[in-house]
Formats: sequence, C-alpha cells, structure tokens
Amino acid sequence: MSAQKRVSRRDFLKVVSLTGGAAVLTACATATPEPTEAPAVPTAPAVVGKPFDGKTLRMHAISGANYDELYKLIPAWEEETGAKVEMVFKGNGFETDKRLVQDFAAGTVDYDVAWDHSSFFSQYVKADGLEPLDAYFSTEDLADFIPGILNAGKRDGKLWVMPRHFDISCMHYRTDVGLAGPPETWDDFKAGALKVTQDNPGVFGTQFAGKEEALTGRFYEVLLAEGGQLLDDSFMPAFNSPAGVKAISMFSELYSAGAMPPDMTNFLWEDVANQWVNGLIGMYTEWYGWYSYFQDPASSKVAGKFDIARQPMGDGNIHSGWAGHHGFSITKASKEKEMAASLIKHLTSVEGNQLEAKLGILISRQSVWDQIIKEAETSTDPLAKKRLELAVLQAQEDFRTPPLIAEWLPLSNILYPILQQVILGDTEPQAGLDEAATKVEEMMKGAGY
Amino acid sequence: MSENPSWKGHQKARRRKDLLNEIFLWIIMLIFFIPALWIILTSVRIRSEILAHPPIWIPSGFTLDSYKILFGMPTPEGAFGLGGAIPVAKYASNSIVISLTATLFALVFGTLAGYVFSRYKFKGKNFIFLGLMLARAVPGIALSLPLFMMFARINLSDTKLGMTTIYIALTIPFTAWLMDGFFRTIPKELDEAARIDGCSTWGAFVRVDLPLVLPGAAAAGIFAFLTAWNEFALASIITRTPASRTFPPALFEFTGQFVSDWRGMTAMSVLMLIPAIVFVAIIQRQLLAGLTSGATKG
Amino acid sequence: MTTQSVAVGPSRRKRKRFQFTDRHLPLLLLFPSVVIIVLVIGFPMLYSLYISFTNFNLTNPKVIEFIGFQNYITLLTRDSQFWKAFGRTVLFITLAVNIELILGLGIAQMMARLARGKGLARTLMMMPMMFAPILVGFQFKWFFDAQLGLVNNILYSITGQSQLIPWLIKVPLGFISILVAEIWMSTPFMVIILEAGILSLPTEPFEAAEVDGASGWQKFRLLTLPMIMPFIYTAMAIRSLDLARAFDVVSIMTGGGPANRTELIWTYVNRLAFNGKEFALGAAMSFIAVILSLVFTYMFFNNVLKSRWTEEVEL
Repeated sequence: MSAQKRVSRRDFLKVVSLTGGAAVLTACATATPEPTEAPAVPTAPAVVGKPFDGKTLRMHAISGANYDELYKLIPAWEEETGAKVEMVFKGNGFETDKRLVQDFAAGTVDYDVAWDHSSFFSQYVKADGLEPLDAYFSTEDLADFIPGILNAGKRDGKLWVMPRHFDISCMHYRTDVGLAGPPETWDDFKAGALKVTQDNPGVFGTQFAGKEEALTGRFYEVLLAEGGQLLDDSFMPAFNSPAGVKAISMFSELYSAGAMPPDMTNFLWEDVANQWVNGLIGMYTEWYGWYSYFQDPASSKVAGKFDIARQPMGDGNIHSGWAGHHGFSITKASKEKEMAASLIKHLTSVEGNQLEAKLGILISRQSVWDQIIKEAETSTDPLAKKRLELAVLQAQEDFRTPPLIAEWLPLSNILYPILQQVILGDTEPQAGLDEAATKVEEMMKGAGY
Repeated sequence: MSENPSWKGHQKARRRKDLLNEIFLWIIMLIFFIPALWIILTSVRIRSEILAHPPIWIPSGFTLDSYKILFGMPTPEGAFGLGGAIPVAKYASNSIVISLTATLFALVFGTLAGYVFSRYKFKGKNFIFLGLMLARAVPGIALSLPLFMMFARINLSDTKLGMTTIYIALTIPFTAWLMDGFFRTIPKELDEAARIDGCSTWGAFVRVDLPLVLPGAAAAGIFAFLTAWNEFALASIITRTPASRTFPPALFEFTGQFVSDWRGMTAMSVLMLIPAIVFVAIIQRQLLAGLTSGATKG
Repeated sequence: MTTQSVAVGPSRRKRKRFQFTDRHLPLLLLFPSVVIIVLVIGFPMLYSLYISFTNFNLTNPKVIEFIGFQNYITLLTRDSQFWKAFGRTVLFITLAVNIELILGLGIAQMMARLARGKGLARTLMMMPMMFAPILVGFQFKWFFDAQLGLVNNILYSITGQSQLIPWLIKVPLGFISILVAEIWMSTPFMVIILEAGILSLPTEPFEAAEVDGASGWQKFRLLTLPMIMPFIYTAMAIRSLDLARAFDVVSIMTGGGPANRTELIWTYVNRLAFNGKEFALGAAMSFIAVILSLVFTYMFFNNVLKSRWTEEVEL
C-alpha cells in the first residue's frame, strides 16, 4: 500500500514535469516572437545615392513558370537601392488570394508588396488592405500603359493595382479538321463544332473549362457577346435574360450532342490545354499564355496545325474577351510604401515588360508592344506577328473583366454548379439561371447592394 | 504423430493452401501497389511521356531529371515552375522533426490515456472520452482559420513548435483509442498477479501491460507519424516560409493555377516516401518483436 | 487508512497534504492529453462556435455582428444542398468503412498466415497510406480521366471498345470513383490494425483447433473473429468519424462536383467558407456536421461502449 502511494507521487511528478516542460517550451516560443510586422527601420540612408540602403522589403508573390521570370530583375533593383527583398510567400494564384484574404481578415499582414489581380483586388479593397497608388505613380508613369488594362485596376476613382501583364482568350482552331476558317458568330461556332465532331471520329468539336471560376468566366464571355450582362446597374443579377439562356443553351446543346469531352465539367485550365495538345479538340477559346507550349513539337501534337482568331460575335454585336491582368499592389499595413512603389516601378518598367514579352506573355506597355510587333516581322513562326497584333487589338477593344466587385468569387461560387447542372442536362436553362439569379440576388443584398 | 499418414496428408494440404494463400495475397498487393508504382514511375519518366495519350506503359527511357531539378541541379529540360532551387532539405528536416516529435509525444500521452480508459472508471470519464471523439471528428479544414488567427496572436504561426503541437493534438485521440483496445486484451488477472508479487500500479503497468501492447503501440506510432507526415490542410495555412513548411504544402506548390508540374510532384512524393518507409520498417521490427513475446506469454 | 499511516512513518504529517492515491492517478495520466487537446482544438472550436452566431464574411472581415441562430436556421431549413451533402457523406462513410473492413480483414488474415516476408508484405501494403492524400487525389483524378486516363485505357485494351467512360462525371460513377480512391488509400489502415490484433491473439486455441481438424474458415469464424471484435469496433468507430479524411482526395478529384454530384459535407464547407467567403455559415455547418456525426456514431456504437466499460476498477 505504501509503495503504491509513494509511486503515485512519483507519477504525479512525472506527469507534472511533462506538462510543465511543455508549458515552458510554449512560454519560450512566446518569449521569442518571430517578427510579424515589416520592421520599421531608421530613415537616414547609410550610403549616399542608395535610397533604401539596409532596409528589407517584403513581398507576397505568385509563383509558376510564367511568373518567376520577372523576379530575376529583383537583384538589379537591390543593387541600385541597397535594399533587400524577402519573399514572404510564393504560391499559385488561388492559394495566394486565399492567404491574402486570411491575412487581411486576421490582421497578420507582414509584407509590403503583394501580387494582385483584376478579378481579386476588389475584395482586398473592401477589406481595407490596400493602399491607393495614385500618390506614388504620376500621370507620366502611367502614360505608357494600355488604358483598358490600367482601368481594370481602378475602383472608386483610385488606382489599386499596377499592371504587370494580362491575359485574354482568343479562338484557337485546327487547320486540319475540315474547318473553313474561324467562326464569325457563336452560332457559326456551334454549327462548326458539331460538324467537326461528326467528320472526325475521336475528335471533339470544342471544349470549355467546366468548373469553378473558369466556367463562370467562359459563360460570362459568351453572355456578353450575346448582348447580355452579368449584373445590372444596381448590381442585381441580369444573366437570366434571353441572352443568358441562349449562351448557356449553346453549352448544353454541344454537350448533349457529344461535341464536347464528356468529363469537361471537371476540366480546369491544365486539362483543356492537355486535351488540345493531344489533338482531341477542333476549336475553342484559350488564353494566349499557352502559345509556346502549343507550338512545341516535343509536347504538342497540334504544333503548326492551328490558327488563331478574334472571338466570334453574338447577338450583342461585340467581340468578347474575358480578360484579367496580374499586377502588384502596396499593402496598407506596409511601413515602407515608398520602397514598395520603387520596386513595383522597377518590375513594371519597360525592361520588365520586355523580359516577360520574350516568354510570350502579354505585357501592358504600349511602347513595348510596338517594339515586339516590329520584331515579330522577322520571325520564322508564321503566326508570331498575327498573334501579337491580335492580342493588342483585343486588349484595346475586347478587354472585358468580370464585374470589379468583391463578390465576384462568391457569385461565381453560386453560379457555376448551376451552370454545370444545365450543361449536364439536369436542369433546364431558364429554370437554372432563374434559380441562380435568386440566390445571387440574395447574396448581393446581404452584402449591402 | 508425424508418422500418422492422415496427418502427413493434412500437412501437405496445408502447405498447398499456404502457397495459394501467398500467391493470392501477392496478387492483391500488386493491385494495390499499381497506383503507387505509377507515381514512382512518373518521377523517372521523360517529360513528354508523362501525360501522353494513350498512356505509355513501357517507358522508352529513364531519367533522373525530375530529381535533379528538385535539388537545383542543371538539366537540359530546364527548371520546374518554381524557378530556382527548392529548399528540399529544409522541407525534409521540418517534416521529419515535426512528425517524429509529434509521434513521440502522442504515443506517450495517448498510451497513458488509453491505459486509464481501459482500467478505470471515474466521474467525467464518458465526457472526456466523448471529448476525444469530438476532437477527432473535427477536420483540419474547419480548424484552419480560427487556429491560424489564434496562433498568429501568440506568435506560433509559421513555427515548428506550433505545427508539432497541432499534430500532437490531432493524433492523441486515435492513439488513446487504439491503446485502450489493446490494453483491454490483457486479462486483469495478469495485473493482479503482478501486484501480488509486489509491484505498484505503475510498476505493473511498465513491466506487464506495456510489453504486451507493443504491437498496438507500434501500429499507433505508425499512424500518428503518417498522419503528421501527410497532413495538408492545417500545414498549408499555418506554415508560410521554409522555416516551418513541411512536405505536403510544398507538394501542392507544384500545382500551378494553369499547370501542374507532375515531375516535381512525383519526385517530391517519392522523396517523401523514403523517410516514411524507413520509419515504418523500423517500427515494424518492434511490432514483430513484441508479438513473439506476447504470443508465448498467452 | 491505518495501514498507510503506519507505513509512512515519521513524515506522515507532511504526507497528509499530498494524498495521491490510485484515485488521482488516472486523472493525472489524462491531464497532458486533455490539456493539449483543449488548447489546440477546443479553443479554435469555441471561437468557431462564436463566429457561427455572427455574420462574419471574408470579403468584409471588419464586420462581425451577432445574429443568433440565423445561420443554423438557414442551413437546416432552407439549404437542401446541405442535407444532400450530409446524406451523401453518410452513405460514403458507411460504404467505405464496411468495404475497407471486409477487405482489410481478408488481407490481414492472409498476411498473418504468411510464413515469410511478413515485413515486406506489411510495408508494401502500407504504401497507399504513405502517399499524401493530395497526391492520391491528383493521381486518381488522372487515372479516371475519360480521354487520357489509365482506367479507360486498360478497359480499351481488354474490351476493344473505345467507349469513353466519364468516371468523374456520371451519377453513380463519380461517387464510385472517389470511393475507390478512398478505399485504396485507407484499407491499409484496417489491415494494419487487424493484423496487429490477429497476431496478438494467443496461439493455444488455434493449435488446439488445428489438432481437432478445424478448417481454416472454421478457425477464422469461431476463433479469430470473436476475439478481434474489439479491434474491429475500434477501427470502425474511428473510421466512421473520419468524415474529413477523404476531404483532400475528393477536393482534388472532383471538388465536390460536377454540379454538386459528389459533394460531401466538408467539400461543401470549404467552398462555402473560402470560395463563397461566407465563413460564419461555414462555421455553423461544421458544427452541425460534427454534432450529427457524433450522434450518429454514438448511436451506432452505444452498445459497444456499454460492453466495454465492464472491466474497469471502480474508484
């Protein structure tokens, strides 16, 4: 009995020390905090001529093959200004957005420069996380940028995003499946897709990225072309109009006729590109960014076998083009806004644009466009010049961003499953769009519109 | 006995059955293994063959390019999407440290808890047990944002300590349950016998009960380790920089919005496999050792 | 009491204040576990609970207003999507757990009978478990791709029919595909637990049965099965609560789509909270899901729990 009691006390000590140890460790963690704010550093630069010597600039960036190339310009800026750039985070677009949203919500913003995008920045503005750029970029600084692109980063009369590069979609069509030429209207497109499917066994007439924001965007494109609108002037849903029904019916009719891959409702950007390079698709709208991959014989079966054209028109008599641009913003929480602006200027400079243009990325400065179009005249690729001219034309005239509201993603989140239902034939177009409109209206009202 | 002809016949039949059993088992395991094999194979494939249509079964050649690029070594094919060397060593060390530490603590705390559940009845026991069940039922994704906000406030965000603590909490319930089950297989008479022999409760625990549940502890250890090793939802939110980033979120970094880099993903997955296999192999020996002693005690 | 004071001796007066008997031992041993879980899981859940009574939205994070049970009412009465997802999740778990159990039991039994190579077999068997779920998601998504996937490719080689089956789209197929991925990933779990259980069984009853001429099946049914019941119950209870395990896999394979066809509770919560930005609603849903799953499991395993509390020491 006594042995038991003595041992019990030893147990007690064991247990207490274990938990005590854990508590001590935790205390140590809190005692030595990791820095969570951009450090406020004394102002006087140590070396004359190097404005930000000794300071650190923190950046929250997007990563990926296309995007990383530009970051090679950073060392030059560091050399010039004496500052150091620290990459706080790098991830793909949606991950980056998710983090930004969380940081703005939790107040844990510890970086100065943040990746931004025309579709996403509105929510950051609403969350009061960004700093207006008008004070840091003069009219001269902005003169060289294509207006349509620049405007896609403006809200409430202020500029929030400095454009880096944009993307827009054009019609890609095969030259070896019996197509006479690019479709002029969406009705032509539909007929052409059906014909291609019939005449070429194993090939689908067309495809669309069939889920999430991608599907909403593709629907939005066609909706606009047919003269419709996503939201009306009071920000209430307007997509369940005849134009909307016509747009989505095209999708569902193509699907039920077997002119689209049966699992397209699970496709995202990578999947549609894969189908295309494996030669399974006749024509479809695709981003310019894929071009070099499509023309690379080592990875693409359709290299040299396709052409590009402006998007077809619809009842609305416009050429549509779902567009967006990537850029940079300055966080409100930043303590080094001047330094942030300096880096952004450097990255979006002519040199920066030229670097990205070499990769076939669609940059935003008019002067660089003029330059590369001229250079393309001597290219061995017959499509090179046409591609660039088409891109800049679309940027000037067909650049349509989704509504620049913070609720774009929530709207898409409500809409796309219903669009899928219509495509798959589970719901009738009008009924589905009406249901979506009711839900979106409820959401928008709840958001204060 | 062995000269009995019917016994010999019985032995022969048994051996045949054993052989059939073995063959059948290996076939099933092969089926299970195919997807895993595909992943490993992809990591050594030539780039153009990875997403080929129709899928290429027999690769025309092997290449270690995926791994080379992962470690930042030059290859003709060029870098992955991440553009630049990936801090693989850091991810590895983070994952290993966090997972091992979490497993250790979870085993200790969980085994003690399991012992208590199996042997004692006290006020609030059901409540605590249900509490553990509740903790288990909550997935990472539901915890992620609140936990992130909490951790950010106490400066544990993006730290190895923070992640370790989270994983301990995540794996204790299951460990406790499993150990509870194993402790119950030990008849109480053994405990009593030990105590009569002069052991204290603790002594009985350490000398009698613990060795008998080693297979269970091994199994629990394996699961705890793998849970921590492969956990994604919480790791992707709480860790931000290579200071504390583990493998699973690093893996996800290969999935761009537009392109997933299969080479990087599969190469990293194979790298992730290696410590997992090593750990499991080591613990397994423990499992076997514990079993033989347990069987004879029976 | 008297025995104690006698044994303790001169330091009795000091000892009186720290009377740690066996009564305290269990609580002390539980203490660290409980503390950690309360800190890491309890507090965030409480915070989440609080949020679920507000209108917290990620697009407008500065605004947090108390709205009472509004979210819960919306979910329980007006969101048919929620109930469909819940029903689907219940079905998913039920099927997954049972199939994994049967497969696991069979494989475990076979493995236990192996004369050699047990270690190798066990390691190979655990391979699926060793891959990160997100990778499994990507891999199976590719396998089941209608045009480029391995499954259709194999089918084509066997049957010669080039019928492209959209595994991830059509109604029972999508569900089956995610089920297959989940079973592939988690059967090893069952195998390991059950094999450990089988191997820890005493050998005499089996030897005796062998001598008596019992067949393999008889031994299994009459000896193995009853004796490893506790393990089976444990494993099943755990797995059935693992509503979230499949989240990573399903999220990547289908994202709960298309058109919500493979929507499980947690993919729905994730989309609602992070894509739809309606975090408070998501939090409410998480709670409903957790409570419902607890009730569900508790009802199912109430008998098991009762039968288990037979061997403890009354304190």
